[in-house]
Amino acid sequence: MEATFLSLSNTLIFIAFIILLVALVPLALSIKSKAKSKKYEKLAIGMIVVAFILELSYFIFRWLATGHAPVSNMYEFIAMFAIMLIGGYLITYHYFRSKVFGLFAIPISLLLLGYGSLFSTDVQPLIPALQSNWLAIHVITVTLSYGILSMSAVAGLIYLLKAIPSDEKSWRARFLELIMVGLVIVATYIVTTLVMKEVVGYNDEFYYTDQNGAQVIAEYHLPSLVNYQDAVPVEHIGNNEYEPTEHFHLGIDLPPVIKAHSLNTVVWSIILGVIVYGIIRLIIRRRIFSLFKPLTKKVDLVLMDEIGYRSVIIGFPLFALGGIFFAAIWAQMAWSRFWGWDPKETWAFITFMFYTIFLHLRINRGYEGEKSAWLAVGGFILILFNLIAINMIVSGLHSYA
Amino acid sequence: MQDKKNSENKEIICSHCGHVNPPGTQLCQSCGKMINENYDKKKIKDLMRYDGSAVRSKVKSKSIFDKIWNFFTSIKVGVAIIAIIAIAAAIGTILPQEYFIPLGADPLEHYTERYGTFGMLYYKLGFTELYSSWWFVLLNGMLALSIIAASVDRGVPLYKSLKNQRAKKHDSFFRRQRLNNTYSSTEQTESVVKGLQDKKYKLKQDGNHYLLEKGRLSRWGPYINHTGLIILLVGSMLRFFPGVYIDEVIYAQEGETVSVPTTDGKYYVKNEAFTLDTYDEDSGTVFDESLQQNKEMTISNFQTDISFYENKSADVIGSKPDLEKIDDYSIRVNHPYVFEDYQLYQSSYDNSQLKSMTFRLEDKDGNTIGENFEVNLDEPADTYEISEDININMRAYAPDFLEIDENGTLLSETPVPSNPAFVFEVDNGEKKELSLLQIMNSTDISEGNEYKIKFVEAEEHVATVLTLKKDLSMPIIATGFVIFLIGLFIGSYINHRRIWINGDGDSMSIAAHTNKNYYGLKKEINSVLEANNLDHMNDKEEQDKSKG
Repeated sequence: MEATFLSLSNTLIFIAFIILLVALVPLALSIKSKAKSKKYEKLAIGMIVVAFILELSYFIFRWLATGHAPVSNMYEFIAMFAIMLIGGYLITYHYFRSKVFGLFAIPISLLLLGYGSLFSTDVQPLIPALQSNWLAIHVITVTLSYGILSMSAVAGLIYLLKAIPSDEKSWRARFLELIMVGLVIVATYIVTTLVMKEVVGYNDEFYYTDQNGAQVIAEYHLPSLVNYQDAVPVEHIGNNEYEPTEHFHLGIDLPPVIKAHSLNTVVWSIILGVIVYGIIRLIIRRRIFSLFKPLTKKVDLVLMDEIGYRSVIIGFPLFALGGIFFAAIWAQMAWSRFWGWDPKETWAFITFMFYTIFLHLRINRGYEGEKSAWLAVGGFILILFNLIAINMIVSGLHSYA
Repeated sequence: MQDKKNSENKEIICSHCGHVNPPGTQLCQSCGKMINENYDKKKIKDLMRYDGSAVRSKVKSKSIFDKIWNFFTSIKVGVAIIAIIAIAAAIGTILPQEYFIPLGADPLEHYTERYGTFGMLYYKLGFTELYSSWWFVLLNGMLALSIIAASVDRGVPLYKSLKNQRAKKHDSFFRRQRLNNTYSSTEQTESVVKGLQDKKYKLKQDGNHYLLEKGRLSRWGPYINHTGLIILLVGSMLRFFPGVYIDEVIYAQEGETVSVPTTDGKYYVKNEAFTLDTYDEDSGTVFDESLQQNKEMTISNFQTDISFYENKSADVIGSKPDLEKIDDYSIRVNHPYVFEDYQLYQSSYDNSQLKSMTFRLEDKDGNTIGENFEVNLDEPADTYEISEDININMRAYAPDFLEIDENGTLLSETPVPSNPAFVFEVDNGEKKELSLLQIMNSTDISEGNEYKIKFVEAEEHVATVLTLKKDLSMPIIATGFVIFLIGLFIGSYINHRRIWINGDGDSMSIAAHTNKNYYGLKKEINSVLEANNLDHMNDKEEQDKSKG
């Protein structure tokens, strides 16, 4: 029974992914079409609602299969975040009927889901620290707040895309383009990793000594550019035994303090992402963000500003509740201290402080419109940093997700 | 400067209604007419924030007190402090903090060895204990001052002005609001007022002047949440006082009863059993696949079964403990044992100490003779019977072997059985053979030994490591944070909406203000206006936009 639930839940989220991808077409058409008929819009929203329900079903069935809330590892956490983004969009749509919003929110959600699936999608039993009701309470509140806070970033991005002329020789235009470069890098990274891992099946293994003196195997799904000091290329010959062999290695060796195999992926993503970006630039011969400008033609800047602000105002208290308060209660029970400046905790604190600054600047110093939009986008980058980079670079107590 | 000086001292009499306002007031507290044209409009976009009343820091700047006050009330300064704290916190995550490095390691050596010159500098700059450094604590103290000053500076005048609101407002006040409209007839005034009252607006009436208000609580949100933060910050400082915070380690081997530190011998805890369970890789559940892939076993449970005792003779100095069992409990991760203000947590375990070693006796052909024998390392026996005619006598034992001294006895470095060595005598009734056994090594002492003693297995002591915590500051910090959250939700989720209606004369004017979410306010008023067949409200921002 559990196995059936599990495969069912995997199928459900896959179908939801496809539906969301396809829904972008009618959604884009609904913006372009001049006709008064709302058939494209209705179709698109209908599809998104169906996809959202399927995603919720994924969540329920995976829960039924494992017996615990499916928010216990990196894949499950990111998937939940991606689902909440769709939820956040539907709420925003309900209030403000914004269509163009979905054209940005959905791809971001899909990118996140793709990124999450790069981690192990297997279900794992809970280690003792995670065996608590607070797992579900803490993580669901945090992802919900992330989903809502992300809406402010989407609103901010749309605002900036509309407000900034694409041929302007200014820092704001360059920064916005830089965000686009970042998005291209992330997309390239997800696609290459998926292709190399799942399709090509590239897997070079290296044997090295980590910073705690333990002997570990590093799996390289992309050719090694940077590696650990004194790493030995090895091959798995079954039964947990390894034999020396030859693998490609460019020759940059780093001390074990730096996670070289993560860095290797980052280096590859940047190289390939920049190449892809360069090719697009060569073809279109103008800044990439100009491609998105037509979508924002009918956008109401005041409304975007309003959505951006309200998302922060609704998301921030939820974040404080789930990401700080519930987190502290659980930390007190599991780790005997409610606050311990663990890297993940510290970055949640920094995120909290960032939005505090956002609100004070907005309310007291008139940071509205463009300034507010930049801050909202910055907040989202901070959330992603805490989600991705902290787990990649530093190993703290939150090593599972 | 001359203007400012004057405005510092003088009360302002409204030219319209004659109300006497305190110095620095922007909008007349009575009728809402702008009475200070010189006010710096760039700094505060919305005069309505504090209802146009005087904010001390914007009015006085003469004395040293004023200057300090103005420094701490400044939002710029407050935001800067928050930003510096956030940046400092980020720096603290570049390398692990000192409490994450291995216990007993020399920090300077550790950081230099692992992270090179950068690590050394990081340590020398004090970033390895950043969150408890004096300057980080000082920053938080400054944040507290900033919160207090800013809240008093703005909260007091806001309270006064919201308390003394009048329904009657000057025409210019109506025009200044973002949402306003004027209608040619006053016929529907009552009906509109009624419609709004149905939407839970509270009415204040002064002749034909109406003030409809709801959600005023929202305005207190920031002051409530700031109060919570102050309580939290004060609470976190309490840990500096002795006795408020206790963090101890309790180490107890299986079966061992130890006194609970810091309770003056009043409580004792006995480790009845320690359990470490792992998940079964072939249980037929959905987890099998991931468990099998994982090279190490996945732990499912850490548990210490304890008996908890109270010492009845704790008050009598020098007396023997008189223990009375008061409780049984199974301490697991996420399930601490709670007594008085203390909690006992499962922290880790230690199986590095040996409990017993088992040996077997072998003849010269390699055949095992008789039964295996087990040596209890804490209390070794003198003689072990192997078979009917063979005994093994323990002639010497060192729990933590150092060397053999001149007269042949074994010297021990410590009494802890971590590196045991034995001299065994095999006695078959005819002959006695001596041999020295150490870990991974055995040496014959007598010549021409026929028998060999072989190591079979060792059993470890399993000691549980519990964390004892007492934190009296926690309820205060928690209360502070709960108040903060309540304030945050009130301020964020409730909107303070006010609608002024002037039905005096030939026309009806409506103006509306909210602290946020004009979109929602507009929808609400328009629905009432629609029901009365009146035009929608004008939105100044929309008009600005269509102009631009």
